[in-house]
Amino acid sequence: MFKYLTRRLLYMIPILFGVTLITFILFNVVGGDPAAQAAGRHATAEQIEVIRRELGLDRPLPMQYLFFVQQIFSLDFGRSWSTKQEITTMFADGMGPSLSLTLPAFILAQIITIALALLLARWRGTNFDRITKVTCLAMMSLSSLVYILWGQYVLAYQWGWFPISGWDNSFAGRWEYLGLPIVIFVLLSLGGNVLFYRTVFLDEIYHDYVRTARAKGLNEASILFKHVLRNALIPIITRVVLQMPFLILGSLLLESFFGIPGIGGIVVQAIQNADFPVIKAMTFLSAVLYMVFQLISDVLYAVVDPKVQLR
Amino acid sequence: MFRILIAALLVGSFSLGGCTKKGRESENTLNVVVSSNIKGLDPVNISDTYSSLVASQMYEGLLHYNYLQRPLKLQPLLAAEMPKVSSDGLTHTFKIRPGMKFHDDQAFPESKGREVTAEDFIYSWKRLADPANQSEAFWVFDGKIVGLNEWRDKMGKKEADYSTPVAGLTAPDKNTLVIKLTKPYYQLHYVLAMSTTVVVPKEAVEKYGKEFLNHPVGTGPFKFESWTRNSQIVMVKNPNWATHTYPTEGTEEDKASGALADAGQKLPFVDKLVVHEIIEDQPRWLNFMKGNLDFVAIPKDNFDGAVQSNQMTEEMQKKGILLSITREPDVTYTAFNMLDPVVGKNENLRKAISLATDTDTLIQKFYNGRAVSAHSPIPPDVDGYDANYKNPYKEYNISKAKELLSKAGFPEGKGAPEIEYSTTSSSTARQMAEYFKQNMEAIGLKVKIDSTSWPQFTTKIREKKAQVWGIAWMADYPDAENFLQLLYGQNVSPGPNGSNYKSKEFDALYEKASKLPPGNERTKIYQQMRDIAARDLPWIPNAHRLGYITYHSWLKNFKYHSIINDYLKYLRVDTKARGEQKANL
Repeated sequence: MFKYLTRRLLYMIPILFGVTLITFILFNVVGGDPAAQAAGRHATAEQIEVIRRELGLDRPLPMQYLFFVQQIFSLDFGRSWSTKQEITTMFADGMGPSLSLTLPAFILAQIITIALALLLARWRGTNFDRITKVTCLAMMSLSSLVYILWGQYVLAYQWGWFPISGWDNSFAGRWEYLGLPIVIFVLLSLGGNVLFYRTVFLDEIYHDYVRTARAKGLNEASILFKHVLRNALIPIITRVVLQMPFLILGSLLLESFFGIPGIGGIVVQAIQNADFPVIKAMTFLSAVLYMVFQLISDVLYAVVDPKVQLR
Repeated sequence: MFRILIAALLVGSFSLGGCTKKGRESENTLNVVVSSNIKGLDPVNISDTYSSLVASQMYEGLLHYNYLQRPLKLQPLLAAEMPKVSSDGLTHTFKIRPGMKFHDDQAFPESKGREVTAEDFIYSWKRLADPANQSEAFWVFDGKIVGLNEWRDKMGKKEADYSTPVAGLTAPDKNTLVIKLTKPYYQLHYVLAMSTTVVVPKEAVEKYGKEFLNHPVGTGPFKFESWTRNSQIVMVKNPNWATHTYPTEGTEEDKASGALADAGQKLPFVDKLVVHEIIEDQPRWLNFMKGNLDFVAIPKDNFDGAVQSNQMTEEMQKKGILLSITREPDVTYTAFNMLDPVVGKNENLRKAISLATDTDTLIQKFYNGRAVSAHSPIPPDVDGYDANYKNPYKEYNISKAKELLSKAGFPEGKGAPEIEYSTTSSSTARQMAEYFKQNMEAIGLKVKIDSTSWPQFTTKIREKKAQVWGIAWMADYPDAENFLQLLYGQNVSPGPNGSNYKSKEFDALYEKASKLPPGNERTKIYQQMRDIAARDLPWIPNAHRLGYITYHSWLKNFKYHSIINDYLKYLRVDTKARGEQKANL
């Protein structure tokens, strides 16, 4: 296990180099001229040159790339070109609000969808199964904007169940504003998740061990929750763990409609403003998160399934 | 497993709890909204409207605009009076109002704000020129103040510091500031009313360093309290502020609307100011409709439901919602790259394109009619604007367009190369590009649309690679020079003259006008330049937009102009009426 982990961690290094290189090349090829961008609409050639020098963009590209790599190793991404804020502070400030929305919503969504999928698997082929399946399909077909616009207009504005949008930085105060976005997050994950988990459970439910358990006279709840659920954990872990990085990176639309000052908004602004330091920090962070969670999911396979051995 | 499930459910249910609304804001609060996130509050790095608005409540400069008078009129703010200008126009002497103090802040001894002096202005303006600050606003002084560009160069080479004097910026005593110019620059007074030329205290800049952008310390009527980035900024009334009172003169309209009822009163009227950053249209509009915001610009999609024949609908009126229509000092235009071998070298082709552009329909389709057709680069309420002027190529006339297209060498569009129209990737920009394409197809011209991100779009223009594109310019100050400089030969790309238009005749007039003080002679030259631009057609002027802002009737003294930024201090909230009306919204 230790050997496996070391090897996997070492594999990350070349991959991360690749990611940094691609980000760097992409930005320099298609990113627009950041110095001109920062110099503003009245800028003269001289003013653009001054800013180019101040941003370090007058140095040769390989030097700029080395500087970027150096920043990564020192975990100091510098300041945003657009807002002049420290990037680590921007992320630290944004991560709390993003996670306050996505984490509870995600957990809630998983519990609801797994429970519902187990019930559907149990009563497969009944009207309950058919109606739920069709509803899930319909829910998946609707754009997320429809849920957001409708939820905000009807639930918040017309019925007054929730505030329309806003944010309170105190931990206790923020939940008032998170209620509706969490409900919408759960609704958005419902359709796809239920259908996926239902298929996973159906794969399991016809196995011999289930028949044996039934023959032994075990009750259905115990079969579903103790045996089927446990055996279906591998695909569940894959789906759940690999969604984790996206939770940290925030939910862009929900954040911007409900005024949650999370990471999603920071990323969009950075892209709009050709804010390279923020974009590269973000790309790097996403790559690291993705790889780390992938490793976690591999380790978890071994934990839940004795047949899996990490070598 | 079950234990985890229960714990998770508890977290979930906790998150759904506490959905009650609390009246946590003090009664006399003004709730303002901006539709973009505020980037930062260090005046040297302020370049957008929204950051300007916020900064202008806390920071002040030498001059500002009278709140009620139209056309806009400058008046002293931290200056004791309007400056004395030497007869050659090169020396401007300002007297600083004595006793003006910075906000109390930890940066000062015993946290007590000290008096503003002339040296503070010199320091603040050197910060604009300091290359390390990467200020976008240096253009306001670039090449105009004796010795300032030299100081900037030396700073870049680390051969100078803030104690190195600049010959054109001197303070003979603590309340006198003398500015020496390299050439006449009558726009100087306008730029001294902008949010980038305000005064900042050296102590705060040094204490907070790069974090100064998050710790504004100015002299204004409101003091900084807190800022949750991408959410809201809170400011509180500065109890020591007494720079001026509510204006006593206004227009007849102001008398009728009650905007003069507070004449001579102490400012500001509200105790607290909250600026909400709400990017999406729907939550911004719904929050206004619920009374959580005191005023808002009507989003495009909500316009038809709220306004009919330039009045609020009956339903809105019943809710006590009022409308303010203002003419924006801006111009949207279709630009041609004059260096382009196809459109740049063929005047008749440009004229044909102009005549085939149906501006009236464009205004209906894309601005809900909220704009007036532009006939020149100079917008309304700006010196040089003439409402009766008609640009000969601004009529929508397909047959005339076709005639000119033949003269251009492309009868019925035959043989004409495909024209590339550059635009940004927003949906409205793309729709407008499609509309342009449709207009051109009517005379047989083929158009290819290139839509990219804003940075790529502007880079393309700066690198002179764009052929035709749509763009807009908003006034920095109410002088036609601010628009005509977009066609001045010395300003070609990467400067603001993206069209790369060069005309000796136009440039000579531009240079002549720049040496003249405001007055009839200068206005006449502006109009001559306008006529030359109409003849050579480096642009098709499209529209001057109108601002439609709605506000609740509990908000008093509301009079909006996009160039005036320090207007929140004049607004009064009738808190009793707000309490009653809000309950019914």
